[in-house]
Amino acid sequence: MEGFTLFDTVVLIGYISLIAWIGSRFSKDQHNPEDYFLGGRKIPGWAIGLSVMATQASAITFIGAPGWGFEGGLERLVTFINVPLAMIVLILVLVPIFHRAGIYSIYELLERRFGPATRTLTALLFLIARGLATGVVLYAPALVLAVVTGWSVNLTIIIMAVLAISYTVMGGISAVIWTDVVQMFVLWLGALLSIFFLVTSLPGGWGDVFDFGAASGMFNAIDLSFDPSVTYSLWAGLLGGFFLHVAYFGTDQSQIQRVLSSPSVLDAQRSLLIGGYLLIPQMLLFLFIGVILATYYQQHGLTPPEDLNELLPRYVVSAFPSGMAGLVIAGVFAAAMSSLDSALNSLSAVTVRDFYSRYIKPNASDAHYLKASRMATIFWGLYATLFAFFAGNLGPVIEAVNQIGSWFYGALLGTFLLAIFSHRSNARGAMAGLITGMFSVWAVSALLDISWLYNNTVGVAVSMSVGYLVSLTAPAPSQDQLSDVMMAEAAPDMQAVLAARADNAQVIGQEARLTRRRCIGLFAWFCLMLGMLALLQGWANG
Amino acid sequence: MAERLTLARQIEEDTAKRRLQRLGAAACEPAWVSLWAAALGLPNGTPGAWLLCTKEMRRALLLVGTELPTQVEEPSSALNIDNGLPPTPEALNRLWLWERIGTPRHWRIQVLDSTPTPIWLPCWLGYARGRQHRLLVISGLSGEPMPMLKPIVLKGLQQAYRNGPESETKSSGASERREKAV
Repeated sequence: MEGFTLFDTVVLIGYISLIAWIGSRFSKDQHNPEDYFLGGRKIPGWAIGLSVMATQASAITFIGAPGWGFEGGLERLVTFINVPLAMIVLILVLVPIFHRAGIYSIYELLERRFGPATRTLTALLFLIARGLATGVVLYAPALVLAVVTGWSVNLTIIIMAVLAISYTVMGGISAVIWTDVVQMFVLWLGALLSIFFLVTSLPGGWGDVFDFGAASGMFNAIDLSFDPSVTYSLWAGLLGGFFLHVAYFGTDQSQIQRVLSSPSVLDAQRSLLIGGYLLIPQMLLFLFIGVILATYYQQHGLTPPEDLNELLPRYVVSAFPSGMAGLVIAGVFAAAMSSLDSALNSLSAVTVRDFYSRYIKPNASDAHYLKASRMATIFWGLYATLFAFFAGNLGPVIEAVNQIGSWFYGALLGTFLLAIFSHRSNARGAMAGLITGMFSVWAVSALLDISWLYNNTVGVAVSMSVGYLVSLTAPAPSQDQLSDVMMAEAAPDMQAVLAARADNAQVIGQEARLTRRRCIGLFAWFCLMLGMLALLQGWANG
Repeated sequence: MAERLTLARQIEEDTAKRRLQRLGAAACEPAWVSLWAAALGLPNGTPGAWLLCTKEMRRALLLVGTELPTQVEEPSSALNIDNGLPPTPEALNRLWLWERIGTPRHWRIQVLDSTPTPIWLPCWLGYARGRQHRLLVISGLSGEPMPMLKPIVLKGLQQAYRNGPESETKSSGASERREKAV
């Protein structure tokens, strides 16, 4: 047990300084404004996709998933098994509509479809939900800092909050995509090294891990129970987790912002594809570390920490060679900063665009709005900090962040789906659906013994059905209100126009569509992952 | 009013065909869409990008480059879709403000001249046949799909259809939509 040595501290400070230097160097090099715009375009799509992944979840995955795996083995992977399917829905339905609508915040679409009240309420729900989830994201690096220094986690939360808020207000460096990519690889390297050190410290190596995992049922990833109270059954993962991830990636402005900012729909699809393919293996990797840690703790007769989020950071600090621990911990910090910067930025942008400029100061100067956005960043930073103090009581951070979303996002997704698929629905129905959807989620959570993964399904089902039925009591929306969600070329007169033009245009022969191929690829990946889990479970159970 | 500039088509026919084919199109043709361009850059600096929009657009296209890639020849023989009036300077500045709020890295970049230049943007139109006919629009500058220009183009096509072939070089359509990058 070397602990966090002076050399680790030097590496930690050096890494953070290097990242900051790259960021400032990048800014200094932008003498020509063309560089501001071209910077991201010279970078390959896979790097952009990895940077999106790094921003989304890497720090809380690193900290939370091993604790999850330690507690329940691979059974919790069903929460993420649906991600490729969720990405298909995003690629086919939500992203084309959001892109075509040309909106800054996705809640604008709901205003054009249902009116200002729906936009305001949905944007408010996003602010509340994302603000709370940001508290969990803030807690993650604070916990690491507490493990490293031995300081109280409450103190490290305050330190991290001050750092994150200052960093975001000063502009952040998340625009430097390559630093995000490096962080991603540092975290994966940390995970692989953890596996190496853990397995080599076991007398029987991999054999011990597989024997322990099989004997304690840790490889039983697929539970076919139809009992809705079974939290991680396959059905909860497929039905509940699917809506959870469609809602998370599709209706949370902090997630969809990069997709909206993509130069084209194909670029937006590409960044979603990376997540669609890599999220399951990444989660499997970190859950597996949890299984190996459980084997390690059992063989060495160790008592796990009360907060399972500390498991992997503690192991890294105690078992990694001097310098390597500093590098991995620095990677966690940098990744958390990137996530916090992105979340605080989207919270601030929605606050200014959807509330401040509409209800408080509609015609202020640019400088005033910049100041307002900075104030909003500080406000949401403080809000997240308050919640971060309670985040330690919520169990594994990766589950906490998803549970918070599940209280809000089902009804939010239901409202978007109502707007897109029901052309009869109107403002009255949307508001009624949204409110009853939210209450139904809370009622189901409080009154029924049901997996939290179903929260989003309940929210979607109630908000859509109530929304549709209540809509029947008020006039149907106008064609103008439907313009964002209807294919303009579907009208019979437009079909005649397009047929005439197509007949006179050059024939180019047809090829399988790129989007279709991408979606088939994602579906095949989902089947492959599910099949591999089934094989592993079959092997473990003899 | 300033003379309308014609942006040079950089995606040639073969490339456009290949790209549209990948998106499911079975037939294609060139077109031009009229927009208004405003220079973006550091205060007192040279332009580094251009906002392309029309009066009613709520989000603008972004064209990166120090100069507009123009050509001398005016658009000819293809379908020309004219979108009418320019945006006001206030509207232009506000469009750019929201882009900057969303991307703080762009904060220092400003609209350099609020009087926009009228331009012709080259596009390629693809026609896909399935249960219904579908329109695909890709940029003639980058080859990227531009679904947000579809409503403008559809209105232009409708107008041209009503007016007959002679109207193809002067069809009008109101702009409602916007695109992120060209």
